[in-house]
Amino acid sequence: MTDNTRAMLPVDLGNGPFAVTTRGLAKRFGSVRALNGLDLQVPEGAAYVLVGPNGAGKSTLIRTLMGLVRYQAGTVDVQGCDPAGRGAEVRAGIGYVPEGHRFGYAWMTVGRWLEHQAVYHPSWDKGYARELSTRYGIDPARKCHTLSKGESRRVQLVAALAHRPPILLLDEPTDGLDHVVRDETLSILSEHLADSPTTVLISTHRVYEVEPLVDHVGVLSEGRLLGQLPRDELHGRLLCYWADVPEGWSGPGDPGGRVVRRSGAARAIEWTVWGDRDTVTRGLSEAGAAVREVAPLSVDEAAVALLSAREAS
Amino acid sequence: MKIRLSHADGRPLYVQIMDAVRSGLVRGSLRPEEPLPSVRDLSSSLRVNPRTVSQAYAELERDGVVEVLHGKGTFVAPGVRPEERERPRLAREVARRALADASRNGLALADLITALREVEDGDPHGDGSKEDGR
Repeated sequence: MTDNTRAMLPVDLGNGPFAVTTRGLAKRFGSVRALNGLDLQVPEGAAYVLVGPNGAGKSTLIRTLMGLVRYQAGTVDVQGCDPAGRGAEVRAGIGYVPEGHRFGYAWMTVGRWLEHQAVYHPSWDKGYARELSTRYGIDPARKCHTLSKGESRRVQLVAALAHRPPILLLDEPTDGLDHVVRDETLSILSEHLADSPTTVLISTHRVYEVEPLVDHVGVLSEGRLLGQLPRDELHGRLLCYWADVPEGWSGPGDPGGRVVRRSGAARAIEWTVWGDRDTVTRGLSEAGAAVREVAPLSVDEAAVALLSAREAS
Repeated sequence: MKIRLSHADGRPLYVQIMDAVRSGLVRGSLRPEEPLPSVRDLSSSLRVNPRTVSQAYAELERDGVVEVLHGKGTFVAPGVRPEERERPRLAREVARRALADASRNGLALADLITALREVEDGDPHGDGSKEDGR
């Protein structure tokens, strides 16, 4: 069942077209509800970042979209297919970087494994695979079991990108990579998006890294979305208001928006409010606050504000 | 063209890119009819979504600052007169940010103007002493 009553920000992106949707998606592992009535909407061509604490259901969601996890209720649509019944077909159109770093067979060389991937993907671009391998400094003669975490990640990224799939599902894509390689990966992803029409869903704890790359944000908590919206709308309407207020100030009756977080000191408040900037500023001013600054939150800060408000409620 | 994006900045990323182009024109590092980096190259070097760069270029084209020649790339418009338009515009943008910063710190416009003069005159402490004597 769909339950968006806990969402604090909008979760409906309208009529699409969407590359990926779920409706009322539910998955339990024993008594643990990993996905709890989730309505995901990833617009066609979007770069969507999925944010949430450990255990929020991010990896389960991505694995469900891949057809690697059987869901118990709801619907899933990945480019018109339900991965539960047509997993192989769905996976052929997805570039996937899984949560872990294990891939292939220990005895297999990296080059052999990449050739193996090419067989599954008719659109495999050999020249591009070579170019990416070179940029990542991958030695095709290495045996899979000798690779470090970061080296495995690079091979997995090459395999995900080289067939220029319509959809990329990247689960912590920069996990295990050092600073330089992480930065190189972001540059590779920017170029990839410029060259190939792609819908990307990225799950990561390093939100600040991908923030300039994404145009949509979903905040996941306990298997549900607390918000799902365009990044620019998040930056434009979820704002932090710094204001000087009189002693004992209790705030306006109607702040003109939804107060997500109240903090600050006795006479200097710091409120995070979802709403129209001018309306909220007026609401605060009319109640006697001298608004000093209004600033957007980074996606990281927004997620923290939403998640902590969720805990407090 | 040197661009440094800041996520703490209140301006959206595409606006920061637009302002960087304008500032390049004012400083003379970009001149009329010179090419801008391709969308692919600029998004790659800034690690941003290519659409953000496209959006900045499209807005600049609407403002008459650049022109997009299909199949060739994006160029500074031949008729751009940075001294007449971009310079005052950039100055207002810098002033707006300075004022916002002043207001955040509880300062009025007069405080800011006085301090600007003192700093410009090499009297950073406002007490007649020059730059600390190192």
